[in-house]
Amino acid sequence: MDIMSTFVGLSSVLTGFAQDILAPRLDTTNIKNLYLQSWTENIAQETGDANLVNTILQQYAELQAAGKSDEEIGEQLMNGNNSSAFVLACQKLIFLWYMGAWPDVNAQPGTETGGVTTSSLLSAESYTSGLVWQVMQAHPMGDSNYRYGYWAEQPPALSDYTGN
Amino acid sequence: MKNSTLLFSALPAALLLSACNTTATESKPAAAGQLAATPLPVISPVLPADAQFHEPFSLESLQHDFDVFSWESFVALNWPAASVGVADTSVNIGQKPGAVTVWQTYKESRDIFLPDGATPPPWGKDLPPPSVCGDQDLPVLNQIAKVPNNVLDESAEPFQTGPLVDQNGQYTRFEILTNDVMFNYIAEKNLYSKSGQEAFGKKADFPFGTDSQVGSIMLKASWKVLGKNDNPEKFHTTRAYVYDNPDEHAGVKAACKLQTVGLVGFHIGTKLKGNPQWIWSTFEHVDNAPTQGEAINKKHYNYYKPNCTDCAAVNTPPPRPWNPGNPYTQPSQVMRVIALDKPTKELNASYQAALEKLVPGSVWVNYELISTQWPTKAGSKTDPTGAPAPAFLANTTLETYIQGTVRQTSSSCIQCHNNATMTSGKFSDFTYLLQRAQ
Repeated sequence: MDIMSTFVGLSSVLTGFAQDILAPRLDTTNIKNLYLQSWTENIAQETGDANLVNTILQQYAELQAAGKSDEEIGEQLMNGNNSSAFVLACQKLIFLWYMGAWPDVNAQPGTETGGVTTSSLLSAESYTSGLVWQVMQAHPMGDSNYRYGYWAEQPPALSDYTGN
Repeated sequence: MKNSTLLFSALPAALLLSACNTTATESKPAAAGQLAATPLPVISPVLPADAQFHEPFSLESLQHDFDVFSWESFVALNWPAASVGVADTSVNIGQKPGAVTVWQTYKESRDIFLPDGATPPPWGKDLPPPSVCGDQDLPVLNQIAKVPNNVLDESAEPFQTGPLVDQNGQYTRFEILTNDVMFNYIAEKNLYSKSGQEAFGKKADFPFGTDSQVGSIMLKASWKVLGKNDNPEKFHTTRAYVYDNPDEHAGVKAACKLQTVGLVGFHIGTKLKGNPQWIWSTFEHVDNAPTQGEAINKKHYNYYKPNCTDCAAVNTPPPRPWNPGNPYTQPSQVMRVIALDKPTKELNASYQAALEKLVPGSVWVNYELISTQWPTKAGSKTDPTGAPAPAFLANTTLETYIQGTVRQTSSSCIQCHNNATMTSGKFSDFTYLLQRAQ
């Protein structure tokens, strides 16, 4: 199992973005490296299970090899017989890709909001790389690649951003 | 070389390009003892219409191929000129020190954007120098048809980040030029005037090159006045009217002096097929400045004084007011922030060896490519910058004070020029020149 390609495949299933958007062949930022490292280290530290990330990647690889669709793989990963730690690790990976930040989930069952999630940005580059800007069809505050006057024009279609 | 269009239809535009021009990149064996076993590049006066790409494709391989394109362009543009825009193929580059080069016959911005939006003279014809220069007689440098009225009328770097002062306390001078393709587009569409731009009413879209036809090219050059401790034999030199332009800064009085100046910086922006973000090549004189984190091993730099205890802080502009007419200004203390990468250094050594072999003692061995910026996703619908590589690129003589790696702040050719507009507010196709229209 090639760890990085499996990680990118898993990330694509979980985020809904095409693999070549998350990890273009000509990758100038290589944000995937930072995310894989962060995900691996944080999950191991938070759960005490140094093998959990590998278990998730392995399960994704097996489902993918079995010819399951992305939707089916997502269902299996998030709603199967996996542990809450497994599911939460997947959710945190989604958060990481979308926000470029590592989440700290403080669940408070029974409260109106169910708890609170805070987060810490990994880097300035992860901030601008967050997929949240893409699904908003917008740009990060203080960092735009659009041209002067873009606000007067329709943004590209959402599918152009997600690659799907 | 592969015609990548047939093989990788899903890849970014940079990977889809191929070129027909093989003249400039065929290699021949090196002389014994020169860069052992590494073939030297052919030094050619042919301006490449496109880059050539070699499989397997990667960021590194494409960067190399664009860097080769940059060197081919640099050599062809700096070839001695026979006539306006045409290389003199009867001589080699470096063979006639001080000869007017091909690019020096291109159209300067001061000859395009005239007071009251007047129609510029046609290609090959220029305005006379400012009247304050008038009683000095610029010698005819060669037999080219263009009136040799080199006028350096700019003393500030782009975006008014500050002037660059050399070790002799003199302001560096700048000029911006276009080739015939770019100039003709401006002239035909009346984009040289505010009223013309308003009537045009849409985004500019300069012609790009085809497999055999060179497209739009814009250039920026920086020159230092040669003086004490400067060795003219190490520079490409020219005689030029060094003009203090009163329109640049308050307090500047019009003055003009015929000077020998040496080339210290050179930008080439080329619009290639499939690369609407243009390709950005930048070169410098090898003695400009040391690099942060690398050895400071030269006794003399053009813009850095070693072991200096009372110099200006590194990479900070001189205090205002700025006035190029001052007889002396404290020199800038400049260091390169982003080091050249190893493959670029190796390519530079290869081209410098080829230039030396062609004409021993050539001044052109004293120039080096800093890098080439190109779009990795040229056709992206969501990112008009096309995800440039490298992300940042600065010339220490043209972007001295905005070097670094901070997005939206540090120098990045594509990122910056992506915001360029005409006076009408319409996109000007990666050039700020059209803002100069009156």
